[in-house]
Amino acid sequence: MLAAFLRRLLAVAPILALVSLLLFGALRLLPIDPAAMSMPPTATKVEIEAARQAMGLDRPVTVQYAIWLGQTLRGDFGNSIHMRRPVAGLLAETLPATIELSLAAMVIAGLLGLGGGLGMFALRDRRGEAVAETVTTLMMSLPEFLWALLLIFVFGVLLSALPFTGRLDPGMTRPVVTQFLLLDTLLVGRVDVFFSAVRHMILPAFALGVAFAPPIMRVLRASLIDTYQEDYIRQARLRGVGETRILLGHALQNAILPTLTLMGVQFGFLFGGSLLVEVIYSYPGMGNLMVDAVRNADLPIIQAVGLTYCVVVLAITAGVDGLVMLLNPRLRGT
Amino acid sequence: MPRWLRDTRVIVGLSILFAVLVLALLAPLLVQSAPDEQDLLSTLLPSAWAKGGDVAHRLGTDSLGRDVLARLLYGTRLALSVAAIAAPGAMILGTIAALLAGYFGGWVDWVIGRAVDVWMSFPPVILSLILMVGLGTGSRNVILAIVLVDWTRFCRVLRAEVLVVVRRDYVTAARLVGFSHLRVVLREVLPAVVPLLVTLLTLEMGIAVVVEAILAFVGLGVKPDEIAWGQMIADGRATIYQAPINLLAPVAAIFVTVAGFNLLGDGLRRTLDLRLVEGRG
Amino acid sequence: MSVLRAENLCVTARIDGVDVAALDGLSLTLAPGKVLGLVGESGAGKSMLGRAIAQLLPPGFAVTAGMLEFAGRDLVAMAPDQRQNLLGRQIGFIPQEPLSALNPVRSIGSQFAEHLRRLGIADWRSAAIAALESVQLPDLLDRFPHQLSGGMCQRVLIAMAFASKPALVVADEPTTALDVTIQARIVALMRDLQVAQNTAVLFITHDLRLAAQVCDEIAVLYAGRVVEHGPADVVLAQPLHPYTKCLLLAAPAISGPRTALYALPDQMPGLRALAEMSGCRFAPRCPLARDACRESVPALAGDTHKIACPHIAEIDTITVPALAPAMVAATGETLVSVAGLGKVFRGRFGRKPTIAVRDVSFSIAAGEFVGVVGESGSGKSTLARLLMGLEQKTSGEIRLAGQDVGGWGAAARRLRLRTAQMVFQDPQSALNPRRRVGAIVTQALEAAGVGLAERRARAAEILADLGMPLELADRAPSQLSGGQRQRVNIGRALCLVPKLLVADEIVSGLDVSVQAQLLALLARLRAEHGFALLLISHDLAVVRYLCERVMVMRNGEVVEAGRTDEVFANPQHDYTRELLASVPGAA
Ligand SMILES: Nc1ncnc2c1ncn2[C@@H]1O[C@H](COP(=O)(O)OP(=O)(O)OP(=O)(O)O)[C@@H](O)[C@H]1O
Ligand code: SF4
Ligand SMILES: [Mg+2]
Repeated sequence: MLAAFLRRLLAVAPILALVSLLLFGALRLLPIDPAAMSMPPTATKVEIEAARQAMGLDRPVTVQYAIWLGQTLRGDFGNSIHMRRPVAGLLAETLPATIELSLAAMVIAGLLGLGGGLGMFALRDRRGEAVAETVTTLMMSLPEFLWALLLIFVFGVLLSALPFTGRLDPGMTRPVVTQFLLLDTLLVGRVDVFFSAVRHMILPAFALGVAFAPPIMRVLRASLIDTYQEDYIRQARLRGVGETRILLGHALQNAILPTLTLMGVQFGFLFGGSLLVEVIYSYPGMGNLMVDAVRNADLPIIQAVGLTYCVVVLAITAGVDGLVMLLNPRLRGT
Repeated sequence: MPRWLRDTRVIVGLSILFAVLVLALLAPLLVQSAPDEQDLLSTLLPSAWAKGGDVAHRLGTDSLGRDVLARLLYGTRLALSVAAIAAPGAMILGTIAALLAGYFGGWVDWVIGRAVDVWMSFPPVILSLILMVGLGTGSRNVILAIVLVDWTRFCRVLRAEVLVVVRRDYVTAARLVGFSHLRVVLREVLPAVVPLLVTLLTLEMGIAVVVEAILAFVGLGVKPDEIAWGQMIADGRATIYQAPINLLAPVAAIFVTVAGFNLLGDGLRRTLDLRLVEGRG
Repeated sequence: MSVLRAENLCVTARIDGVDVAALDGLSLTLAPGKVLGLVGESGAGKSMLGRAIAQLLPPGFAVTAGMLEFAGRDLVAMAPDQRQNLLGRQIGFIPQEPLSALNPVRSIGSQFAEHLRRLGIADWRSAAIAALESVQLPDLLDRFPHQLSGGMCQRVLIAMAFASKPALVVADEPTTALDVTIQARIVALMRDLQVAQNTAVLFITHDLRLAAQVCDEIAVLYAGRVVEHGPADVVLAQPLHPYTKCLLLAAPAISGPRTALYALPDQMPGLRALAEMSGCRFAPRCPLARDACRESVPALAGDTHKIACPHIAEIDTITVPALAPAMVAATGETLVSVAGLGKVFRGRFGRKPTIAVRDVSFSIAAGEFVGVVGESGSGKSTLARLLMGLEQKTSGEIRLAGQDVGGWGAAARRLRLRTAQMVFQDPQSALNPRRRVGAIVTQALEAAGVGLAERRARAAEILADLGMPLELADRAPSQLSGGQRQRVNIGRALCLVPKLLVADEIVSGLDVSVQAQLLALLARLRAEHGFALLLISHDLAVVRYLCERVMVMRNGEVVEAGRTDEVFANPQHDYTRELLASVPGAA
């Protein structure tokens, strides 16, 4: 069991190596000279050449990759060309914000998805079924960035009910303990700041959560319907097991497995989707960092942030796979 | 009439898409102003039916005095062309990979499977941004980025389906009566996955519209002189209080177009009896 | 009082707006402690009664007339919660597919616990272990269904069904998915428990001989009606309804003199066709039918032995000719020679490797029919796939017409193409649903680049050979009956008239009457084309009927081989003996 899970985790390592290679390779193709960009515009050719050598840019590409990988593994992501600060520090500030937002959105997506899936399953073979299906189709036609804009328009502009920029009301100072804002505000006992932060997160988290919920609904519903065709459900009925127990004790336990697998994929997508939502809500997370870096062709940031996104996505999928393994005796390898 | 053409969703989806296509084609006939014609004297006009509106600008003007309706209609052209080229491109790439992996299995499958794993570990938005940094802006590169990102969607779903088909005895039987591998794939395997392929293609076209808008929105999509819905949204966001129509019109356009593709795809999925539950990102 | 009583029970299906009776006027009674066999081919409606008892009929089906009582209580009118109360307590069910009838994510113990707690047994663990003991299983409460074999799962399910000491157990084809040796053990277990608890059993099966062995009484069902009903031994020894008689004569026997098989034409009408029929539903296929039969429905008449046919006086005119004890072994040159053949499947993800075939040697002469028998997993299919080059051998040698075809090379492939063809088990999977029958049977010509006109001409010849009308050439496989599909499946392999036909379980899963047609077809085609056949089958009687030589496989090894009549009459290996003794109806 544990061995199987560890094997699953180990499978991530070669993927990460390939991802890093790809990231490095893709960005090496750019007609950008990182050395020139890392120097002030007044730098002379000789100075730039010196910088090139210092950065190892005159060496073969493979060596450059080795250097880059070695530094990355040590947590040294280099300096931002544009902001002239260590990338590691920038990541440490923005990643927790993105994780907070994504976690909130995942909870929302999970609750909506599972609840909606059960609801749609309850509607099977009834008149409401087609309506519910069309509603999910239409929901799937609104990607997260349109949800974000629409929620701003309705709750921010029309109703003026909720804030939609940044993380805190103007004038509030954020306490820093762990970099996780919600946690920090509670740790220092600033309940007012905590609530302000929560209010700021409602719209972005909902935009993200609602956008990724419909596929979860559909999978849960579809796998419940499949499960109900299985012989063991019929056999349980023939044994006199009641419908509630059939749903909770037999069908759901099986139907949740494919649903969880899809949720893993969805949560990976969701984590990536947070980028746009952050941009739209001026939310100071990794997404905004990435978009700024992309606009300024700030290679060290793009590489480090890209890699971080991949690491988190792989962690999410590996975690979900582990959970599925735990719940499915056929995968437990006994 | 085939069964799938009688499904309400298919009919509604096709009608929406047909209407959108007609609007895109007839854009020059429907609006007088050119989409990039600035009129700094009449900026942020409201829509024609609101107070202070101008019939010449039915949906009003943006902050540079450009006609919103004209930009919307010309934006449709870009969105549809990207969808029409990028989605089949991703389909061809993904289908070839899926057929190779599913049919030959073994190390071919392993290599393609790992490639998909690597791709899947990038959130699509991040990967397309990185690709756009590498490729530079322009609608051609947007298409290329979509193809390079989204082939895995086809590959993943199709590979599973190809595996099911390949296990059928008729595929083995075709080999035994002397069909070459290529012939088996083209005559026995591919036809079996065409319904799935068409459905995925439809859904992918909707995704392409969204991705094109996203890239234009963050300023990494088309060149500044091309007219894109995503750019309209980025512009409209700044004037959300004064002229919300500048934001809402392109949002609605994207929604309607994508809904057209999704309704069509869903109707196909149901009537062609496919087991397909696809995530989106 | 009887445990189960049905009086004129009608279960009706609505098909395209027309009501068709899937069960038409069924009347039976089942006394406590008795076993009633309900026998019929697929589509006869035999599962309908079990489903009606639980009121779990398929969508569109409903009880429309008559009465169904359990211990004097009306099951149809009963409130759902009352019926649910009976299920699992007083009425137990044993399913057809044991492997899929247990919840895969819950341990055996947890499924037992759920059941026994519902029965109000607080100390469920010891009760469960006792129940498992009663079916000769050790304590496997902590195991999961996928860790058990099909036979073990079925024993678990039997233990659960009998745990509440029910008055009635409904067993719907409980052994169809299992090997014949395991079937014998399961049936014996059921019988023991049934006698010990004085339980009445409704035993549903397609196998008349098995029913005769297990049951006290037998009711034979044809197209929704009981056509014959009587004491089991009487019905088997002296069938009086033409259908029962034909059915018995269509199934090859495992012992006794070899006879030809009775070839009933066509197959049982489907529900849709029933809507347009009147009178006796067997009339279109009955050798004794006359015009009067189509006018009124014959009533089920008689005392203890009831028959729904007024013409039973002529029953003895239905006979089949005797055959020579065994077909003469062909003495042609050696077509296939296999020496020391072995196949090991590498274990994936740390699992142990499987030795599917080990050190198998045999040869087949031109025109010879050789049978391979053995239970599931004994390596029969792997052997066939090795011969056809669909699997790479691990060791040994395969020669076709004297030439080595062991490798994957193009030369081996060409030689094989000319010499050997394979017929697959399941026509559902073996026929491309998107192709027409005519195209399927001439696929080999298409591969060789032969033109369309020529292909169509050959398709017509093949269809004629298969005894199928020409207009079927433009049909899709889905528009054919099961028997027709299997013919097309055979036809494709015969297109280039191979010297060797490898057939893997081609008649399993078919109804006896359809099986008889196919066996007759193979015998006729052999006479016309003179090919050799390697016939893989779990059904020993089929091999005895068709093949002059037989190989018995177990765990990848050939444990016994020889002339069919000798092996069957005088088996040398213990396993062969056990196999033969397990077959229902074995003398
Ligand atoms: N592709 C494979 N990979 C691993 N093991 C296999 C494979 N094919 C067959 N086996 C194993 O080889 C053994 C022999 O299998 P085979 O299918 O030849 O049996 P069989 O006699 O035809 O059984 P049945 O009557 O159920 O068709 C079994 O243990 C089976 O699980
Ligand atoms: S009633 Fe007529 S058709 Fe029916 S079984 Fe008897 S003889 Fe045959
Ligand atoms: Mg087999």
